[in-house]
Amino acid sequence: MEKLKKKNILLILLALIFTMGAILLYLTKSQELKEIAISFYDFRNAHGALAQKDSAQLTKQIKETEERISLLQKKINNLTPYGPYLIINTTKNTFVLRTRRSIIREGICSTGSYILLDAGNGKQWIFKTPKGQLHILGKKTNPVWIKPDWAFIEEDLPVPSIGDPERREPGSLGDYALILGDGYMIHGTLYQRFLGLPVTHGCIRMGDKDLKIVYHNMSIGSKVFIF
Amino acid sequence: MKKLNVFKKSIIIFCISQIVIFLIIFILFDFIPVAKESKEVSKMVQARGMSSSYKVSKKISKLIGTIRINEHHEAYLQNALKLSKIDSISLLIDLSDSLAILSLKGISIFKSKISKIEINKGLKKLPYFLRDSLYSGPLQATENLSSIEKFPIVIKKPSRDTSAVDETEAAPTIPKQNDVYLLMALDNNMAIEINQQEDSLVGNKSVYKKYRRKYRRWFLSKNIESVFSPNQHGYTYHLAIEIPREDAGSIYRALPIKPFILIRY
Repeated sequence: MEKLKKKNILLILLALIFTMGAILLYLTKSQELKEIAISFYDFRNAHGALAQKDSAQLTKQIKETEERISLLQKKINNLTPYGPYLIINTTKNTFVLRTRRSIIREGICSTGSYILLDAGNGKQWIFKTPKGQLHILGKKTNPVWIKPDWAFIEEDLPVPSIGDPERREPGSLGDYALILGDGYMIHGTLYQRFLGLPVTHGCIRMGDKDLKIVYHNMSIGSKVFIF
Repeated sequence: MKKLNVFKKSIIIFCISQIVIFLIIFILFDFIPVAKESKEVSKMVQARGMSSSYKVSKKISKLIGTIRINEHHEAYLQNALKLSKIDSISLLIDLSDSLAILSLKGISIFKSKISKIEINKGLKKLPYFLRDSLYSGPLQATENLSSIEKFPIVIKKPSRDTSAVDETEAAPTIPKQNDVYLLMALDNNMAIEINQQEDSLVGNKSVYKKYRRKYRRWFLSKNIESVFSPNQHGYTYHLAIEIPREDAGSIYRALPIKPFILIRY
């Protein structure tokens, strides 16, 4: 008798657990069940005022809308620069140099690594490439890298004073540099095999041939779109 | 014999109770909220004076259809022009041309071909003017769920063994590949899903499962809210698109946290 009672309690408990599980399952599947529920409803899709017009009036209206569409399309097309502009994809680490009509060059590049350098004492740097619309602010040949503080902190080296010759590093930026502002640049690299990977401190690195073409096509004021 | 009968009876009672529970949940969490939403839609239809429909010829009906498509296209372009005035990147989903486009200052900076489009029944059934008002925007995403991080930040302490030093010797480390699934909830009771078109997972399965759990929980909370909160809509209009994995990742990481989205059907 006692055994039977225990068995019954166990069965009831199992049934309750099963029921709770089933309730949770129904609730998580509620979105699918709502699709069944919505099948029972239908909304009227009347033609409204347009139904009172004849085919000539409607054709005229179609023409008018088409004209407005083409005008808007023209306005949007005019937002694209005539001259060369550069698009950088920081997720794929690729670039496209193009004009409104055609692609001049496309290829791989390197962008910010998203490393957060924590120097302690509240000093932090995130090595990410800025996104949005930027402009070429300056152009340089044979650029010299003036190493910022983080370049020394990253290597756990003492930070020299501003203007110290130790900060100058010629040759590491390649043959050309295009300045984007806030310390960001498009430049070359000694580490060509890293191209296509997110390894930089925020600048955009390009291969020698690509950089040369970008440098010669982009002028000061040219737009750079980074996403 | 009697014992067996009792057992059989209990099983029948159990099964019936399960069906009753299912029906109660269906009515409470699905049917009633959907009925509430449908009532709202019907009210709006009536408010626009569209309850009485004229019977029109096929030709007229076709012309009316073209006007609606054109008007919607016009609204889409007008909104794209509006978005060109903001500084952040926005997402344009062109279902008509099967394209997902990233736009910045009116310039298409990235395009991805949509391989699959799924629209839920409610969205398909909506009267055209409501569908247009849902689609035309610009709409702003208020919540995001994703299987990848927006900013894949790695924390690093200063050390002599730096990447700069490593660069001269070490082989490049290829970043981990991740599966990309996203859900963006818009401010107008619509949810947009962007999923990778590749069926096979390249990343960690647990990450995908975690996303699916978050996804189910999000819909669950919406469903529960729709029962208990009078302001909550009873039905979420839902659009899902599939694009290549890498493109989906690029789109998600390019967009700001609360991006503007524009849809053309």
